[in-house]
Amino acid sequence: MTIGAQGDAQQPRDPDAPVFDGPPLSLEEELAAARAEPEPGPSIDIINESLADGLNRCPKCGSTDVRLRGSTAMLMCLFCRHQWEEARVEEEFGLGEGIHDLKGTVVATGAEAISADAEDVITLKCGGCGADVIVDTDHALNARCHWCRHTLNINERTPNGAVPDAVLPFKLTHVEAVEKIREFASKRRLFAHPRFKKEFVPENVLGVYLPYLVIDARADAAYVGTGEVQTRRWTEKQGDNSVTYYAADVYRVNRSVDFTVDDLTIEGAAGRAEFDGSETNNIINTILPFDTKNAVKWNSSYLVGFTSEKRDRDVGDMKPVLEDQLLSIGRSQVHASLAQFDRGVRWEQEQVNVAGSRWVSMYLPVWLYSYYQEDTKMLHYIAVNARTGETMGSVPVSQWRLIAAAMTVGTFLEGIAGYILVASA
Amino acid sequence: MIATMFTEIVVMASDDDGLVWLLAAGPAGAAATYWALYRYYRNNDKSHAFERDTLIEAQPVQSQEEKINHISRTRDSDIDGDNSEQHRKRVERLR
Repeated sequence: MTIGAQGDAQQPRDPDAPVFDGPPLSLEEELAAARAEPEPGPSIDIINESLADGLNRCPKCGSTDVRLRGSTAMLMCLFCRHQWEEARVEEEFGLGEGIHDLKGTVVATGAEAISADAEDVITLKCGGCGADVIVDTDHALNARCHWCRHTLNINERTPNGAVPDAVLPFKLTHVEAVEKIREFASKRRLFAHPRFKKEFVPENVLGVYLPYLVIDARADAAYVGTGEVQTRRWTEKQGDNSVTYYAADVYRVNRSVDFTVDDLTIEGAAGRAEFDGSETNNIINTILPFDTKNAVKWNSSYLVGFTSEKRDRDVGDMKPVLEDQLLSIGRSQVHASLAQFDRGVRWEQEQVNVAGSRWVSMYLPVWLYSYYQEDTKMLHYIAVNARTGETMGSVPVSQWRLIAAAMTVGTFLEGIAGYILVASA
Repeated sequence: MIATMFTEIVVMASDDDGLVWLLAAGPAGAAATYWALYRYYRNNDKSHAFERDTLIEAQPVQSQEEKINHISRTRDSDIDGDNSEQHRKRVERLR
């Protein structure tokens, strides 16, 4: 009997037969299901449990006068000179592993959606004297108590996106940054705007922690296009001139590639993510990449003496940016396979499927010299990557000097052309 | 760059309509000078080369191609709309 029951159960099901999945839903239920927000994906809990909002003392002497020592990239107590550092998140939370097995969208706690009604200004009660101290998290995550001089820190997660998962400490010092900026600008003196040269004070450079989302992803991309291979080339005489002709085979080209990316870095502040030419945000984008593998667990003492900019973009807003960059990466990966198409390839369609992604928010260190050009209403930057020292900038130009140089070269070339024409006549 | 452009103009002039094309050298040189200097100061064309500077691990590329046509005579030395090196230029997206 048992055997008979098993035999019945193993009979193959007719694939065309309808599958019963419960009674049909009402129209309202169907509409509600369609409009519902997608289920939140899995998350990684990246929290530094040893720290809290308010006073965070030196583990050796108990002072709150703690700040980053740039030359060692370690935290230092200004009272007893004890130095220490937070653990790297790469090993602590396994961020360098499992990229090949990523599924869905995994979001670390510091990259979670920003609450629209969250306040930027947070009031802390000083643990030293009990006074209320205000911190504007839009620009800073520390404040000094104006009564007892203790340093107060924001270390716990805030719903406004101000506290990231990790921070990459400044390594280049202010002096080194000033030198980099001076060197960059000194190569661009001749055609620089006179007012910029007059007002150039590189010592005014500011250390800023900018928000980024650092992404690991697993994707497959496919491309369809047309390629041409030259089969013949010949020259025909037409009057006094000879004309070159070509023959070619035309191919439909398909390419696909599976790949993973490790620590792709995308701007987390909307104000830095516009690259339409009316801004100079591309300058700050150019100094990427950072050595994000060395990012450490969040501790706002790393921000003492620096300013910061709050993240205001959510993972959902940035998925199209990720897909766009993955499509570009896929295109560069398949490029080497196109060598046979010596007349070129025209891609016409493309597709990317992100099988899995992992999002971690980080503050990355930038030395930023900014100059507002009044006549064009443009904000120019010279930015220095405070880890690698890569420097890029936008120097306002003197238009009349540029035009004068262009006219001089043009006149010189025209003179040579005229001479050749006269000589050959 | 200007020297190369100048040489090309000379070659073009001798190939086609005589040396009269040389007269374009002045305006072309002036425009090229302005463009090159402006770009050197403003760096408005620069951006992070994420295609090159990100840690990428790719599986072997899957390739498939099929001959669909033959061009027996054309003056074009390359395909129209070659975008094989413009990795960031988006084309029609398949979903």
